[in-house]
Amino acid sequence: MEPLIGMGVLALIGVAATIAGASEDLESDVGSQSNPNSQVQLAPQMMFPHRIYNKAVSGEPPSNALMCSVGAAVATVLISEFTLSPLFALVIGSLVAACVHGTFAVTSVLGRSASQKRFKQPIYLDMIRSHTPVIMGYSFITTFCILIVSYMMTVVLGHPFPLTMLAFIWGITVGAIGSSTGDVHYGAEREFQQFEFGSGLNASNSGNIVRYGESGIRNGYDNSWFCAKFGGPVTGIAFGMTVFLGSWVTTIFDPAKGLTQGWFSVIAGVAIVLILIIWNWKIEVEARKAFGPYKEDKTEEASA
Amino acid sequence: MSAGGAGGGAKGGYPQQTIMAIGAVGGLAGIYLGHFMPPAFSFFGGLGAICAIVWGADAVRRVASYGLGTGVPSIGMIALGMGIVAALFGLSVGGIAGPIVSFIAAAVIGAIIGVLANKVIGMGIPIMEQAMVEIAGAGTLAIIGLSVVIAGEFTYGPVIENVVANGYIALIFIIGGMGILHPFNANLGPDEKQDRTLMLAVEKAAIAVVIAGFASSLHEGLMAAGLNIFIGLIIWAFAFMKYYGLVKRDAHAVVGTGLLPSAEELQ
Repeated sequence: MEPLIGMGVLALIGVAATIAGASEDLESDVGSQSNPNSQVQLAPQMMFPHRIYNKAVSGEPPSNALMCSVGAAVATVLISEFTLSPLFALVIGSLVAACVHGTFAVTSVLGRSASQKRFKQPIYLDMIRSHTPVIMGYSFITTFCILIVSYMMTVVLGHPFPLTMLAFIWGITVGAIGSSTGDVHYGAEREFQQFEFGSGLNASNSGNIVRYGESGIRNGYDNSWFCAKFGGPVTGIAFGMTVFLGSWVTTIFDPAKGLTQGWFSVIAGVAIVLILIIWNWKIEVEARKAFGPYKEDKTEEASA
Repeated sequence: MSAGGAGGGAKGGYPQQTIMAIGAVGGLAGIYLGHFMPPAFSFFGGLGAICAIVWGADAVRRVASYGLGTGVPSIGMIALGMGIVAALFGLSVGGIAGPIVSFIAAAVIGAIIGVLANKVIGMGIPIMEQAMVEIAGAGTLAIIGLSVVIAGEFTYGPVIENVVANGYIALIFIIGGMGILHPFNANLGPDEKQDRTLMLAVEKAAIAVVIAGFASSLHEGLMAAGLNIFIGLIIWAFAFMKYYGLVKRDAHAVVGTGLLPSAEELQ
């Protein structure tokens, strides 16, 4: 393959991955999946019933792997059995995956709320009806972008894995990155906005999540609006960089062209990892210097 | 499908042995029927997978009630992880007895992992060994059942060609695993009820049958695939409506809309 075409495909893959990362994080935020879910689950037990979607579909990696592999399986069947154009097949596959994910989301919010009967948590049907299409919409975007990445890798870059397997692996990856990068901006900050920033989560505040919004009762839309400002995009960049840099080293130094090129790609990969580790370490040291440890208020010191 | 009982008493539960029998016998019967009948009847493999997934979900429910919490998804993944190893081993050496050999291999692997979890890692869950054996067996039967739906048989060669080589094994792994782990995870809470959890397992297993049925069109043709999808959708619709009914039975209140309950109402 022409190196230029390879780079172009790589750029496209990177863009699709960035969008997938961003939409994955926002999808999990609308439904409070993954880490923030524990506090949403705990809130009614602490006498704080809420109108926040409790989407307990395992962790993000398995649920995204499910969406992506369902989408890929449907798409491959449509391509080979029904000779559909790949673009249509990927769209229909993503649509089926979004519907399957919708059933997982609905059954988990119904089940979790019903299992909190003794804490008098009602099931609000209007909340479920309004949030589920948003969750399905985001999951459609995520699945479609992951399928684009996997399809490009299989067909254009000649990856030896079948489409379904690649989509499964990328689904796990996007879920893992969304869980580790994106959740921080919803869990620790957004759910406990009424407490002083940076004070950590005191055990006595467990379950006391913000339940009222700027106007009316807070719901999943408000949380995705907040996360769309930073958490979602930063997840997108993280996943886009993972996909782009991971494939970049073997596109520039193609191991198929010889052993030396293969070793160059290994060295380039190690160099990228080292640069990122040092960069991260510098950022952390700078942040500690600038903000330091959490200081107690003067009033608290006086009373103590 | 006996998990679709009429709801019973709120505290009533199907005994463990009944569910185990349904899972093991139903699962193996479905797999063998799907194998020996013509390809159009490969949906029997799907029915076997549904029985196995219900059994797996019940085993997860029993072991996770010891407070596994966030470990519930992990235990579903380990079920299918053990299942894939056991299934491929059994099918490759067992010939016509493949599913039974797989099932026994799964029991051995499950027992070893259960002993490791309790003795080495020191989890100290009394029913860990037995639950791991059950979960591994259920995972294995779910994988073979869904493979029968896609390939029409469980002979090693066709399964490798139609299920493993084209990557559908990844789909079966995750959709079967979610079928086993999701029901208890989605109903987690102090007021969880067994019949509701198991009905959700039927619903999730039916989705697995629909998707595997669609994939079966590659190998078995449109008629068989259409029948697989149709049966899966019927079971799904029935189980979903039933599950919603059980949610309405168990929930504090199902309201169209409303404000949050006041402090007085919570007392």
